[in-house]
Amino acid sequence: MNDTVAIRTSGLAKRYGSRWALRDCTLEIPSGSVTALVGPNGAGKTTLLHLVIGLVEPTSGAVDVFGRSPRRDAKEVLPRLGFVAQDHPLHRNLTIADTLTYGRKLNPSWNKQLAVSRVERLGLSMRQKVGQLSGGQQAQVALTLALAKQPQLLVLDEPVASLDPLARREFLNAVMEAVVEEGITVVLSSHIVAELERVCDYLVTLADGATQLTGSISQIVASHRLLTGPRSDAAGVARAHDVIRESHTERQTTLLVRANGHVYDSRWEQHEVDLEEIVLAYLGYQSGNGAAATSALEMVRS
Amino acid sequence: MTWVSWRLERTEALIVLGILALLAALLVPTGIQMADAYHRDGLAACLSVNPGPTCGNKLGDFRQHFQSLIDLSNWFTLVPGLIGVLLAAPFIFDLEHGTYRLAWTQSITRDRWLLGKLGSAAVAAALAAGALILLFTWWRAPSVHLDGRLDTGNYDSTGIVVIGYTLFALALAVALGAIWRRAAASLAVAFVGYFAARVFVDVLLRDHLVAPVKATYRGTQQPSFLYNAHILSLRGATHGHEILGGSSGPAQKFATPGMNSAVFQVVYQPDSHFWPLQLTETAIFVGFAAILILFASWWTRQRTS
Repeated sequence: MNDTVAIRTSGLAKRYGSRWALRDCTLEIPSGSVTALVGPNGAGKTTLLHLVIGLVEPTSGAVDVFGRSPRRDAKEVLPRLGFVAQDHPLHRNLTIADTLTYGRKLNPSWNKQLAVSRVERLGLSMRQKVGQLSGGQQAQVALTLALAKQPQLLVLDEPVASLDPLARREFLNAVMEAVVEEGITVVLSSHIVAELERVCDYLVTLADGATQLTGSISQIVASHRLLTGPRSDAAGVARAHDVIRESHTERQTTLLVRANGHVYDSRWEQHEVDLEEIVLAYLGYQSGNGAAATSALEMVRS
Repeated sequence: MTWVSWRLERTEALIVLGILALLAALLVPTGIQMADAYHRDGLAACLSVNPGPTCGNKLGDFRQHFQSLIDLSNWFTLVPGLIGVLLAAPFIFDLEHGTYRLAWTQSITRDRWLLGKLGSAAVAAALAAGALILLFTWWRAPSVHLDGRLDTGNYDSTGIVVIGYTLFALALAVALGAIWRRAAASLAVAFVGYFAARVFVDVLLRDHLVAPVKATYRGTQQPSFLYNAHILSLRGATHGHEILGGSSGPAQKFATPGMNSAVFQVVYQPDSHFWPLQLTETAIFVGFAAILILFASWWTRQRTS
């Protein structure tokens, strides 16, 4: 068992019928990180997460969670996983008390104290039916169920997509609290980049079933620069650095680069660039044309 | 898992209990009436091989009173199907609502989940079928005496086949639901499928599940071996002329038309074939139920994500 790597995939691929939902995905997610899995809708985020938690079997390649196959060693891996599926499905006709009993009966490591105190902090009554709660409250109850298992890895599939901005913030705060208190590894997928930088420290971007950018967010932000200068060719810069995106106006050229060391050329004015812009550049870069980049941007900004 | 299964099946279990209670409310008063009439008139004595002369009238009276009720109650043979498909609903709801993903990411394996869900439904179905058998066996006691236990209505509701019917309906709905993942549609189609399977077995298959007996007898008095038998065909001839041909139906207990010299050839299931027939038919329905449940389990494990 390897304690420094929470999730390791190698050549992981999944095909549904004739469509490849995920192709040749190789990555490592360090233990203790909070990872954002970002990509437009249909990029394969849910498929990757379902492979990680063992809901589906890979078509080829392998995935390990704490060094074990989530599918073959389900008995060992499942108790260490917490999962909240897209749209956080719960039994709507159960009360919150029944929902917690459901969790207690199905998990040997259930922490009743944690579950009860979270429900109290949410201001919910144990007798309320889950179906009568708001979307944000349901998401919180689903998160409570996942956390009270005392998982080492918490996997959240689009946890905030269906929530309003306030509920979104509250949900992410609750996740952060758990990270601080329990020191768990978190992977959450999202097509919204805006709030992730506050929460996450590791990034995986996915488009068309393939990973593009993987790494620590601080390193990613530190290594990317926006260069502006008089209209010119990017070739000179490209010799030393990776040009992710270039755009030209009549007088000016703007380059987003992944800098390998310093950019010494004084013709270029250097700017810091935020995570959202980097992610958008990668998603646009991959699709290779302006229209696709714009649509990726719309999806990421929504 | 036991608590979880019970909690999530509670609504359906209560509906099934409601159906059983409603059925009891209909059957208990009429059953008491029927049993009273049966004993008051001393009909039991009439059903011996050589009945007394007043028996015809007494039997006629009883039938006039109760036969339409007994015929109507034959429709209750649909109840095992109804109960079976209802108990499949919690399993399909889990697939339809996506809550199976919740279950599969708790600490139990999906085999354990399948066993808990489908096992508890099967146990509930068998218990409900047992209650149906008890209720109908009591209610139909006079009818069993009159027409024999091989009479279709009696056969369908007073033997262990009822357990087979209920499990089959459950398994059919589970298999459809595993693929379709829509509860309402799966239950409706499974109920229709149950009805079709029952009609097929009742009409075409049952008479041949155990090899029928052939016999020949002479004269108008029905021989004692046909007592309570289920007659598949009866042919009579006298002096080379056919006087009765190919009729089938329940045994006639009194004078059969014909002449003293007539020779009858009869093909029938004797009363003693009741249990062999019940066991064979039950094995068929339970066998198909097992295949369907295994298929649904396999499909859910492999194809659902």
